[in-house]
Amino acid sequence: MRRKVLFVTMILLAAALLSGCAGGPVRGATWPGLAADENAAYLADGPYVFAISLKDGKELWRYPAETDGDFVFYSTPVVTPDGLVIVGSAGKNHSLIALDPNDVSTSNNNVNSPGLAWTFNEARDQWVAPPLVVDDKLFAVNADGFLYVLDLQDGQSTKKAVKVAHIDGRLWAQPTTDGGRVFITSLDHSVIAVDIETYEVLWHEDIGGAVTGSAVLGPDGMLYVGSLASRLEKIDPASGRREPVLEAENWIWSTPSLDGDTLYFGDLNGRLYSFNTTAGRLNWAPVQPDGPITASPLLRDEYILVATESGSLFALDRGGKVLWSQEVGGKIYTTPVAAGDLILVAPLETEFYLAALDQNGRQIWTFTQGN
Amino acid sequence: MWDLFVSIFVNVLIWIYDVIGNNFGIAIILFTILIRIVTWPLNAQQMKGAAAMQELQNDKDWQAIQKKYAKDKEKLAQEQMRIYRERKISPFSSCLPTLIQFPIIIALYQSITRSLGSTPLDLLKLSRSIIFPFLNVSDLIPLNSKFLWMDLGHPESIAILGFAFPTLALIVAITTYIQSKLTMPASTNPNDQSAAMSKMMSIYMPLLLGYFALNFASGLSVYFITSNILGIVQYAMQGKANWRNLLPGGQKKVK
Repeated sequence: MRRKVLFVTMILLAAALLSGCAGGPVRGATWPGLAADENAAYLADGPYVFAISLKDGKELWRYPAETDGDFVFYSTPVVTPDGLVIVGSAGKNHSLIALDPNDVSTSNNNVNSPGLAWTFNEARDQWVAPPLVVDDKLFAVNADGFLYVLDLQDGQSTKKAVKVAHIDGRLWAQPTTDGGRVFITSLDHSVIAVDIETYEVLWHEDIGGAVTGSAVLGPDGMLYVGSLASRLEKIDPASGRREPVLEAENWIWSTPSLDGDTLYFGDLNGRLYSFNTTAGRLNWAPVQPDGPITASPLLRDEYILVATESGSLFALDRGGKVLWSQEVGGKIYTTPVAAGDLILVAPLETEFYLAALDQNGRQIWTFTQGN
Repeated sequence: MWDLFVSIFVNVLIWIYDVIGNNFGIAIILFTILIRIVTWPLNAQQMKGAAAMQELQNDKDWQAIQKKYAKDKEKLAQEQMRIYRERKISPFSSCLPTLIQFPIIIALYQSITRSLGSTPLDLLKLSRSIIFPFLNVSDLIPLNSKFLWMDLGHPESIAILGFAFPTLALIVAITTYIQSKLTMPASTNPNDQSAAMSKMMSIYMPLLLGYFALNFASGLSVYFITSNILGIVQYAMQGKANWRNLLPGGQKKVK
């Protein structure tokens, strides 16, 4: 009898442990996506996309109204000029959806939820990258290796999907454009240029390491991109010819932030780099806040704000001197967002989902589901 | 400690993946063979323990004791422990390999998802999991998750007439059932707890592993199937496979 109980207990324990680590529609499977407009913050955080009032941190609406096990959201929401909120699911459901905040209704469980302007269901894998809005089109890249070009109004594909990456060429970063070309980065170690009108692949350059961030168009007309080969690369957008310009200490995860002719970016050793694209060298020796950096630095007039995995924010002046630091808590992987006078931070492993801070790092409000 | 355990799995898997030319499915199969080799002493112990328990269950003296103390459970338990001591039988030795499977399954599941880096956080964790200095993981990322018709990072199914047919889950359940049936000892004693336990396992384990295969990354199913086939081959080569158990009423024929 005792052995039977032991056996059944072990089975249940194993089932519970496996289920617990299956990465279902729960918070914390990975870090959330965060965006804002002048009224609300939009947080894609596991089972829900939340709209949160910037005034007081109260929930304005959430999507879906009730948990749907097939939806997992963590790609950064994109707010279109028409006010639609576009976000993709990384769950079993691979939809890219356009939410209409002007069409909010209250569901049976007394939750406000926006209407769906459209959904796009043809992608075969998860949505990690936010789409790029160019005029009336969306350039959306999926982890299935395809670029989907959609009509912004109805989400219909304007052309059959374009295969831009090799097998397992997961596309995790928002594309960028110079007006004539769309530049896509891939985990298959590539940067790819696609003609913005014909959607033809113009060039496909192997840079020797997976790329998780977007390419940045520098003031010199060149593309700059960091990679998990721990290098910053300079790429000619016309030909795709590349030149490594900086060796970092560890993986460069995020998209560099461009300020004039200077790129700011961090690495997983926790170093913050300030690279002058004109001079082709660092402005100052890398500074090391207090933990690995996966978020892009947030540029403000007065300072550069760096978030670390240790859960801290560091404000540095353009010379690399720390002006102030603030411990937010948890682990910060998501790039902080500025919304008016507020700085929004979405840490993992904290009781709250989102914190709003003032310009000096003082906490104004926090948001948790249900508050 | 647990994270180190998972990290070792991750490193071995990625090392095999690198050596064999970037095929994660083959890496899982070779890794499973490695696990079987490492746990070989435990399996041998299980077979030895099962044989000893079997011998005991068919022993006339033990059956007499069971009869004598049928209404005195406490005394029966004392006698049982005495016989275990005298004959140097460990009652849990036959369960241990099965129980050890669970942490291996959980660690393997975590190492598969971490190695494939299917979410940003998994990929970040992978960067911290590399402990073999000769592994240049940034060259290998992203690992090729495709194997045959499967994406090893996702649950598997094949669309047949618009219906998602869970092929691997069925194969896992069937091979688990076959393995447990083949290793089920023949018993003539109706009070044989060991036989009752084996029978229970032959029902629950295929269902449980089939459920896992249905819901979790198909890389885990590759492990289950390989492990089951190796188990069947191992028992067959040692001449210990009880093929008659697979037939309806096979247990009765043993009598």
